[in-house]
Amino acid sequence: MMLTRVRRSLDELRQSETHLSLALSLAIGALVGLVTVAFILLTGRLAARMYPPGDAGWRRILVPVLGALSTGYLLYRFFPFARGSGIPQTKFALFINDGRISFRTVFGKFFCCSASLASGIALGREGPSVHIGAGLASVIARNAGLSKEQVKSLVPVGCSAALAAAFNTPIAAVLFSLEEIMGDLHASVLGTAVLASATSWMVLHLILGDDPLFHVSGYRLVHPVEFAVYAVLGVVGGLGSVAFVKLLLRLREVFAKFPKQSVWFQPVAGGLTVGLLGYFYPDVMGVGYSYVDKILNGDVVLKLVVLLAILKIVATAVCYASGNAGGIFGPSLFIGATMGAAVGSVAHSLFPAYTAGPGAYALVGMGTAFAAIVRTPLTSVIMIFEVTRDYTIIVPLMISNLIAYFISFRLQREPIYEALAHQDGVHLPTAEARAQAGRVRVSNAMRSVPAVLSPSTELAAAAAQWTDSSLEAWPVANGEGLCSMVRKVDLDNALSNGPPGTTLADLLKQLPEEPPTDLEFPHVHPDHSFSLALERMGSSGLNVLPVVSRANVRQLLGVVVLDDILDAYGLGARTIPYDS
Amino acid sequence: MTAKTESPLSGASFVRTFAAVALAILALFSIDTFLAKTERAESGVEAARFYAEGQHLLSQGKGAEAVERFRSALSVERDSQDYQLALGRALLAAGRSADAEVALNELLQQNPIGAATNLAMARVLAKEDKIEDAVFYYHRAIYGQWKEDAHANQLTARFELTDLLSRQNSKEALLAELLPLQNDAPPDIPTRKKLGHLFIDAGSPARAAATFRDILRTAPEDPEVHRGLGDAEFASGNYRTAQMEFLTALHLNTADREAQARLDLCDQVLELDPTQRGLSVEEQYQRSRKLVEQVMNDVTQCLGSAASGSAQELIKEVQDGRKKPVSAAGRHAAYEDNLGWADRLWQVRKTDCKQAIGVSEEPLALVLAMVGR
Repeated sequence: MMLTRVRRSLDELRQSETHLSLALSLAIGALVGLVTVAFILLTGRLAARMYPPGDAGWRRILVPVLGALSTGYLLYRFFPFARGSGIPQTKFALFINDGRISFRTVFGKFFCCSASLASGIALGREGPSVHIGAGLASVIARNAGLSKEQVKSLVPVGCSAALAAAFNTPIAAVLFSLEEIMGDLHASVLGTAVLASATSWMVLHLILGDDPLFHVSGYRLVHPVEFAVYAVLGVVGGLGSVAFVKLLLRLREVFAKFPKQSVWFQPVAGGLTVGLLGYFYPDVMGVGYSYVDKILNGDVVLKLVVLLAILKIVATAVCYASGNAGGIFGPSLFIGATMGAAVGSVAHSLFPAYTAGPGAYALVGMGTAFAAIVRTPLTSVIMIFEVTRDYTIIVPLMISNLIAYFISFRLQREPIYEALAHQDGVHLPTAEARAQAGRVRVSNAMRSVPAVLSPSTELAAAAAQWTDSSLEAWPVANGEGLCSMVRKVDLDNALSNGPPGTTLADLLKQLPEEPPTDLEFPHVHPDHSFSLALERMGSSGLNVLPVVSRANVRQLLGVVVLDDILDAYGLGARTIPYDS
Repeated sequence: MTAKTESPLSGASFVRTFAAVALAILALFSIDTFLAKTERAESGVEAARFYAEGQHLLSQGKGAEAVERFRSALSVERDSQDYQLALGRALLAAGRSADAEVALNELLQQNPIGAATNLAMARVLAKEDKIEDAVFYYHRAIYGQWKEDAHANQLTARFELTDLLSRQNSKEALLAELLPLQNDAPPDIPTRKKLGHLFIDAGSPARAAATFRDILRTAPEDPEVHRGLGDAEFASGNYRTAQMEFLTALHLNTADREAQARLDLCDQVLELDPTQRGLSVEEQYQRSRKLVEQVMNDVTQCLGSAASGSAQELIKEVQDGRKKPVSAAGRHAAYEDNLGWADRLWQVRKTDCKQAIGVSEEPLALVLAMVGR
């Protein structure tokens, strides 16, 4: 009885798209949250056993090498799509593969990344979590028999849920999914992403409790002079980030040139690098958040943080380029924190009365490096706020972010995830390309206002005033402004069949489908995109649309003609049989 | 917006998917709970190990290394107030009082009435010379909530506060802290000796003398108590009694240099003091002349040619007055005049001379203080 009722409810759910999205978002949020928590705990516990602090140094070399060797083979042999960060793979699935990520990839990502990160490979856990979350969402959606579009719409939902749990940042998780994965902050999945993110975050708190990822003292701006130091941090962060990205991409090119048969063995290079560096500086190993926590609390030795920033850049670049499983999300925060701490240390020793301690700069440095490497400035600001739950440092962070972002953009045009996809022969739709498409607006092809027809004009006179015969409609305006568009075909019909002396006003009233005069007839605004104009031309069957002001829809600004749009795309003027 | 989903699979498959997700959620919840519990247990052990190492290092005076350990303990168990408090103490021991203040502030925001934290904060602020704030936190420590052995801890905090006030020479505040201690402090001799000395610092030599006399009933052979009593009597201006007590202290402990120094000072005062009882008129007169002479030397040496008009007039008046012959009958009047001049000259010394009163001037200052009274 009960089972039947549940079945019936689920069947009803299946019929309602809105309810289904909400239910699936909740289910995905809970499941992804639980899987991510398991991922974090498993990685942490394994790491504590594999290279416990204070243990023999040789172990710090052997464990990453063995970890890289074993996961390298597994990735090569069984889970080829689980290699790397997971963010480009997720975008690939979303934009190119109809949101399809196999369960095998999810499974491989989970275990290979756990083993890899636990063995000390200097990569992060957030990228893989995002891939796992997106994969689970994809698997569930496909198994539930949803359409391709629905599967695609649930992939960013899984991403949000995963990042919310992996990084304890529910808002930044949603923003990251929209800003980086979707490349559109206005994406329609916002509501479901928020729901899944919140659910996942609740799961995280239910199991691990309420604790920010990093504990930070209450830093604040000591003196306005500090803005200059934060600007310097932006420059340093931008240059350091560019160095990291360029090194990683270059090394990846080098590894790609090695024979195909060596792919399973290549990750050992990363394991050995991190092992050798970790022998002398154990903080280079793994995600490194415990060291970041120390830095954020002002536990800074200048020489050491400078050295660790360089070593982490090298270790992460080699680990990633050689094909280990893990992301660059976490390492970018480590690199940023160490760079920030270094700048802060120098500034504080030079101007102790005007600057905060190095911890404050480490905090801003984290966001700066993240904005410059991942190129998601908005996410980085919100993320730092959520990670630390400290609002006081936001303005310096924004300044520093902006400078770092600008430098990074100037010196490395292609964002890292897109560059990584390019190296794999995949051309993802870039945010820049999408923005470029959005920039082609009606105003770019708009013609000036033609001599409008008055409603009192007789049809014969109107036909005489129809100076451009290629236009299939003409604006009709009275003293209050635009009131309608009269079609050429209707005018011609009325001229041949109607009584003499008929005016345009009579014609517009006589039309079987009277175009209402409150501007519900097809029109566009100057900031509308070409695609929307084309869509409206298609639906109205006209090759011309009036362009009206947003402030006063009766104010005619001009007209946009199909040929002009095609010209703007470089296709030249052509005649299209609209009637057909 | 309602639309039928274009499902290639049957409703049964849809139900099966939801059932599988529900089962997976249940299974994962169990696994996660188990993993989290294991993590907490292991982390707790790890944190406790770091904490123990930190305490050991702190007890060895290795503050900087202790900070490392406590930070590691805290990175594992962030909510532990004990670890946070230990970190604050270690930071102070490592000389990083500003960092210690930040760490303890965080802890106080969580638990403002935590007496141990307030005490640690008071120590930090005292080290930073923020005396008013330190006193505030000492009071919060004294009246706050101690986890264990509240009475002993409160006494420790109050004694630390009295030491601070004594160093700051805040006599009234010190006396206000000492009065409750008089009743609450344990009756052991070291504590009572400490109280006696603090009463002297608080400007209450009578209470100090009473305290030391009380101790002498149970420890009559304690040289430190005799010296303390001597100090109390000395502070009261009872130089003769003080001299006796210092002599007794030296008799009981000949190596007591402090008692010797005080005794010497006593001797000098008693030798110079013209107001002592039992002196003949002639002796009083001679001592008063000597006193005027010493003060005059002191003032002229100190002021030199920079003496103001009024000071020069006074010096001339004294010099002229001293030249006048004094008959035997006029000795007492001359004694009074001498005391008056000495007092006026000393006031000039105090107001016009920029140099502080030196150790060699101490007997003179003490005698003139008595004359002034």
